[in-house]
Amino acid sequence: MFELFKEKASALMAEVHAFKNRKDALEFVKNFIRENTMPEDQKAVVWYDTWFLDGVKKEDLLAEIPQISFEITPEIASKAKIGINEVDGAIAESGSLIEVSNRIQKRLVSALPEIHIAILPKSKILPDLKTALRSFHLHTHPYITLISGPSRTADIERVLTIGVHGPERVIIVCIENL
Amino acid sequence: MLKEEIKKALENPVITKALTNFYEAYVVAREKAYTGLDFEKIRNEIVRVKSYAAENFDKLIKKFTEQATKRGAKVFYTKDPKEVINYILEVAKAHNVKTIVKSKSMATEEIHLNKHLQEAGIEVFETDLGEWIIQLAGQRPSHMVLPAIHLTRYEVSDIFTKKVDAVEPDIKKMVKFARKNLREKFLKADLGITGANIAVAETGSIVIFTNEGNARLVLTLPKVHIAVVGIEKLVDKLEDIDPIVKALPRNATAQPITTYVSFITGEREHWDGTKKEVHIILFDNGRSEMAKDPVFKEALQCIRCASCLNVCPVFRLISGLVFGRVYTGGIGTILTAWTEGLKATKDIQNLCIQCGNCVKICPGKINIPDLILEIRRRLAEEEGLPLKIRAIYSVVNNRRLFHTALRMASKLQAPFKQGAFIRHLPLAFSELTQERSLPAIAETPFRDRIKKIKQPEAKQKVAFFAGCLIDFAYPEIGEALVKLLNKAGIQVVFPQDQTCCGAPALYNGVMDVAANNMLQNLKALEQENPDFILSACPTCTLVLKKKGLLALRNQKVSSEVLAKAEKMAEKVVDTSYFINKLIKEGKLTFSKPLEEDFTYHDPCHLKRSLNIWQEPRESLQKAGLKLKEMFESDVCCGMGGSYSLKFPEISVKILERKLKNIQDTGVKLVCTDCPGCIMQIRGGADKKGLDFKVRHSLEILAERL
Repeated sequence: MFELFKEKASALMAEVHAFKNRKDALEFVKNFIRENTMPEDQKAVVWYDTWFLDGVKKEDLLAEIPQISFEITPEIASKAKIGINEVDGAIAESGSLIEVSNRIQKRLVSALPEIHIAILPKSKILPDLKTALRSFHLHTHPYITLISGPSRTADIERVLTIGVHGPERVIIVCIENL
Repeated sequence: MLKEEIKKALENPVITKALTNFYEAYVVAREKAYTGLDFEKIRNEIVRVKSYAAENFDKLIKKFTEQATKRGAKVFYTKDPKEVINYILEVAKAHNVKTIVKSKSMATEEIHLNKHLQEAGIEVFETDLGEWIIQLAGQRPSHMVLPAIHLTRYEVSDIFTKKVDAVEPDIKKMVKFARKNLREKFLKADLGITGANIAVAETGSIVIFTNEGNARLVLTLPKVHIAVVGIEKLVDKLEDIDPIVKALPRNATAQPITTYVSFITGEREHWDGTKKEVHIILFDNGRSEMAKDPVFKEALQCIRCASCLNVCPVFRLISGLVFGRVYTGGIGTILTAWTEGLKATKDIQNLCIQCGNCVKICPGKINIPDLILEIRRRLAEEEGLPLKIRAIYSVVNNRRLFHTALRMASKLQAPFKQGAFIRHLPLAFSELTQERSLPAIAETPFRDRIKKIKQPEAKQKVAFFAGCLIDFAYPEIGEALVKLLNKAGIQVVFPQDQTCCGAPALYNGVMDVAANNMLQNLKALEQENPDFILSACPTCTLVLKKKGLLALRNQKVSSEVLAKAEKMAEKVVDTSYFINKLIKEGKLTFSKPLEEDFTYHDPCHLKRSLNIWQEPRESLQKAGLKLKEMFESDVCCGMGGSYSLKFPEISVKILERKLKNIQDTGVKLVCTDCPGCIMQIRGGADKKGLDFKVRHSLEILAERL
């Protein structure tokens, strides 16, 4: 299922990386931040934190990478280059991520920055949309988005151009053992 | 007015080129996007889901309202466009709104919302890139899904530079420019207005598809969100959306899925912890009336993919700009009839050439040409016909008068005739022969010629229905048929009282004349009690077999007459199919199977209405010919019966493309099975001096016996 998901997501120009565990994934994310932003870029990274950073001391992480901001407002997220959140599932047949964002902050980090890093537990990849729809609890989730690759347009001369209002890169960090 | 707009569009190379490039790529890409999926199954699902919704609007509106309200949204249902505007203005006033960001919503276009908001002193920004460009330019979208497809990068750069700020005509840079400029608007907006692609009754959710990600920002960043949703977007259950999610992006832009598919089910909290307000306006504007109409309820199966525009040979030449309405193209004509009233479609409904190319790809299985024909019929009924047209049909209505006129014309045409063609006509008729020669009317029509053909006695007897073109312009096609059938041991009878099949009247909505033609033919044909009734013109075949019955029903003939007509209809067969069957059964063989390359043009009615396309190819190959397919072999040649008289300028442009596709094969013989297509393609080739022959398959087959 992961292979199909990777194939479909890559075809939509998402970048899919797989890791055995959380530690390796975190290393990748940290390196990615270092390579794409400068330490002096205040709040270049907005991070909507949940389980992925369980056990990681925030102070240590911030000391190591000061460009991270855990505070998220539309203005901050809009200026940030990278937004990081954990997504709640994926659909193999279409290469889509499922983002359930009850809190708007979680959505802002995938909607406003130039790059979206999505943390995805491998076990949450579902085969198809039908299965995904059955897993939706819309009565408790005011907002769910399927994200399939980067934001795109072809409105001028039908030329495909990436990164209009949303991210121009979607990096999917898939973790096997949580 | 319409004619001027058409002229402008046809003279604008950007429109034609952009749309044609898109359409050529689209057909292939769409096919690819459906790989591994069963399109028929998906669209049957859509029909089930959407027709259920249309039959149960009241119930679903109630259910949706209950569910969405329970989850904190305010739901407002109205039939009246004015009330939508008032509602939005009131919400805006209550929140002291100064700036609105909008993501694409056709429902708001329907009520010209932006104009009303601006008049109330509110700034409104469209945020879909194409819509924003169009808004800045003060234009109208040229396509439902691709609003700015008629503009080049240079024009877009000019618009941006004039209205916003300087930017060079580099697409990537202009996209970034839009991101930056609109981002400011998103952040400062007090109100976000969206449409919706689907509304799910059982959960009270709306579902929105975008590629750019603008709708997510429109509904997230401002404190108040209003969704304006046409009630045709309702479905009953969440699982019902599956086939729509699959078909909409694939049919709209040949994408497997749009980048974002958002499900909004009543939000209560804004990002800063304050209260968020969500309003959903369920908008009717004629839709529930449409659901009650036995014919037009079918149009509510539309999922707004605009693929009917994408494959329309007329639309790709003239674009949506010509329509001058919110909804354009085939489905747009139908929607306009209900949102703006039947009269609003008086001119634009004529633009449909009735080729049926849209029917095969419509994910809602809507028979768009048939519905447009119904509009035409109702208009003719309500408004009456122009005197000139009425006069023509009164002649067609009377066989003796009609045929006498044709015989007279064969004499009168002498000064204009050059061989088999009329290349120039004087004065008012000159436009007809400007780009294509017309066939000369035969000196001796088929109805006279057949009397002189000595046919062997045979057990099987078929009746031949010639139709006007074969009878009076191309009698040699009829002779070829007689030769083929006699060889197979079949005798051909020609009922002399047969007349026009009724297609011209029928395709112009003149049902009484069409029904009368049908009755005359019924009487003529049933006298002979033939085993089969053959026609070598697919349009005649279609009328005798199917469409004519509709005309009879429409004119409420007695059930006895209708039963007779149905019995006759069963016997009607297109020659392309019949001859192929004889070949397959070994009853027809070729002693002179001359090898020759040919290409085949599929007549619209033969392929899409009668589902015959392999048979003629196979027959010709059996007779020794080698097939070399042309590009878009089944795209209309531009003839469309009287269409070529109504819109010669469009007809000719479609023809030019067909001629080019034929030339590109390098083949010197084009076969087809429709005398109308022959008239069009042969006439175009003659005018341009092209060196390929255009023949009816029957003639080629008969030569090889």
